[in-house]
Amino acid sequence: MHSLVITKWEFKNTLSSKKFITIFLLQVSILILMIIFFNSFMGNIEPGKNVALTPSLTGFASIDVVDNENLFEKQLNPDILKINRMNYSIAYNRFKNNKTTGLLIVPSDALEKIDRYETLNLSLFVNYNDPKRSVVKSEVDSASKSLSSIITNEWLKEISPENLTQPSVEQTEQGEPLPLQIINKVMIAILLFLPLFLFGNMVIDSIVGEKERKTAEILMAMPLSPSNIILGKSLAIIITIAFQVILWMIILLSAGFNIKNAILVYLLVILTSIPIIGITSMIAAYCKNYKEAGIGISFIYIGIVGFLVVPALAYLSGSTRASTISPMTLVMKLFSGETISTTDLVIPILIIIVVSLISYSISIQLFKRDDVVFGPRPSLFRLFFEFIGILSLIKYIKSKIL
Amino acid sequence: MIKIKSLSKHFGNINALDNLNLDIRKGELLGLIGPNGAGKTTAIRIISCILKPDHGDVLVDGCSILEDPLRIKSMIGYLPEEPNLYERFKAYDLLKYFGELYGMPKDKIEPRIDELLELVGMSKRAQHKINTFSKGLRQRIGIARALIHDPEIIIFDEPTMGLDPATSNTIRKFIASLKGEKTIILCTHYMDEAEELCDRVAILNQGKILDLGTPDYLKSKIHGETILKLKIKDIDNIQPRIIKKFESVENVSIIGDQVLVSLSSGEEICNIIELFENNVLSVNTKEPTLEDVFIQRVK
Repeated sequence: MHSLVITKWEFKNTLSSKKFITIFLLQVSILILMIIFFNSFMGNIEPGKNVALTPSLTGFASIDVVDNENLFEKQLNPDILKINRMNYSIAYNRFKNNKTTGLLIVPSDALEKIDRYETLNLSLFVNYNDPKRSVVKSEVDSASKSLSSIITNEWLKEISPENLTQPSVEQTEQGEPLPLQIINKVMIAILLFLPLFLFGNMVIDSIVGEKERKTAEILMAMPLSPSNIILGKSLAIIITIAFQVILWMIILLSAGFNIKNAILVYLLVILTSIPIIGITSMIAAYCKNYKEAGIGISFIYIGIVGFLVVPALAYLSGSTRASTISPMTLVMKLFSGETISTTDLVIPILIIIVVSLISYSISIQLFKRDDVVFGPRPSLFRLFFEFIGILSLIKYIKSKIL
Repeated sequence: MIKIKSLSKHFGNINALDNLNLDIRKGELLGLIGPNGAGKTTAIRIISCILKPDHGDVLVDGCSILEDPLRIKSMIGYLPEEPNLYERFKAYDLLKYFGELYGMPKDKIEPRIDELLELVGMSKRAQHKINTFSKGLRQRIGIARALIHDPEIIIFDEPTMGLDPATSNTIRKFIASLKGEKTIILCTHYMDEAEELCDRVAILNQGKILDLGTPDYLKSKIHGETILKLKIKDIDNIQPRIIKKFESVENVSIIGDQVLVSLSSGEEICNIIELFENNVLSVNTKEPTLEDVFIQRVK
């Protein structure tokens, strides 16, 4: 009951704070800008517009070709090789001076040899100082195979008077290409989880602020337990997050993002905010000022983001083993409309519950200690040794000896 | 009403309270005086269940601070040295917030707020934000906050510290008006305040009670009836042991260029003055005050 009174007033104060409203509006503006940029980016990488998601290999390696009949040059891939057609003497000098990776010489009587059904021998000189030589070799191999196939087809046509019809494959496109799916999933997941990390400062202001402003003294004199205070303040921030996430989801859905199972996705994101706020409360309960708490949450948030994002990326790359531990993976699967197994559901929720219980218990225990709230604050080592019972053991031994 | 039993508390190597024992009667106004770091604030923070003692216990109306802190907290109204209020709140909302935290019934909160705002003379500022208030106004709201749940026990920690004389006077009158109705503990550095308001005064130093009693009792116990104040030319040459040879002299202290002689009677005043021959610049006699007692006991 007392917790709810704190929650009510903290939430009321947050909503009436000009600072909060300004930050909130700024965040919404940034979200809208991100959506606009994202949509324009996606428009550019739609298939058929000649924009590749992979890095371009154009002109990766260079090859000089001496091919008077222009027979072989056409078969080489200009997307990978920079092809220079020239006469033998210039080409040979360039090769000698390491100005090209490879030199291909096609015999000047190549067409005649083909007409006479003779073997056509090409000469390929490769510069072994150049690590790109294997690409040149592989491309020349492919080109020679391709030329052989053309010549074979021509012979077959001569044997059979009717034109041989090649079997054709009809291609129907459905859904988005895999890279677009990945970008879409990552973008939605990041935008949904982002609000969870925007309220760290509010937790600090709410808990560390009590110490800095010295209002903790009157709060501790009230008939409230530390759990009332920590849970009441945390709940107010979780409600604020819930409010912001729902707004962001509405904006995302209005912008045309496809979020299946929207309610489940929403609940899971809010559920994930509980341990994050718990961990932030834990840091805030220990720290004595804003600066210290700010540094603390910066470090811890890197870890939390890593925990959320790395398994989700593993899931996107096809790995299923560790990917299920992150609630972000579950959210991605939910909004993509994939089938969710019991393991997918149980593991992240179990982690959320366990981390929440641990972090809130530690926060409450820290806030119960008057030395942590009013000082002189014990070191983390001392708290740890107290927790594992070493200090009690030392006291016991001392009392026995003395 | 409040029974402090063998209370000890240390911060690191500093002993803030050292085996403190004290009984406070119901309806009494007890003053806690002592120099900085004497342990006054620590003592009242322990009584208010803000700090936990290392040893000992405090029984408030029979309840132990170790076993039933929430019940004790609801019986106490605590005003810290600095009012430390939530700056963002309006005065009215702040009192409402604390009323709700004390679990007061909703229908009783609003009339109580109106009554208290009237009492501390802040009715017209009810809808103003705390951050617009001067220190004196904040202290008034702080007092209203401490009294919102109509506590049986009120603890004031330096309530007039840093306030102008007019505001201090208003607050003192207000505290005086609560006398008899409530059990009050008043921590103060102002001896005149303690003398004027308190039924009994405890002098605290280094975590221990040096003396306890009514202001009159303390004054009579430490000093005699009169204090002789002598302003002397060559103060460095004065030897207190020579003055102490007189029968009526109870104590001699040298403060600045003055010699303070406590006398049980005024019969030997002339003889004492004669001791200093022509070196006497001025002579005064005065009744002992609590401040004299404090200086004597704490020095």
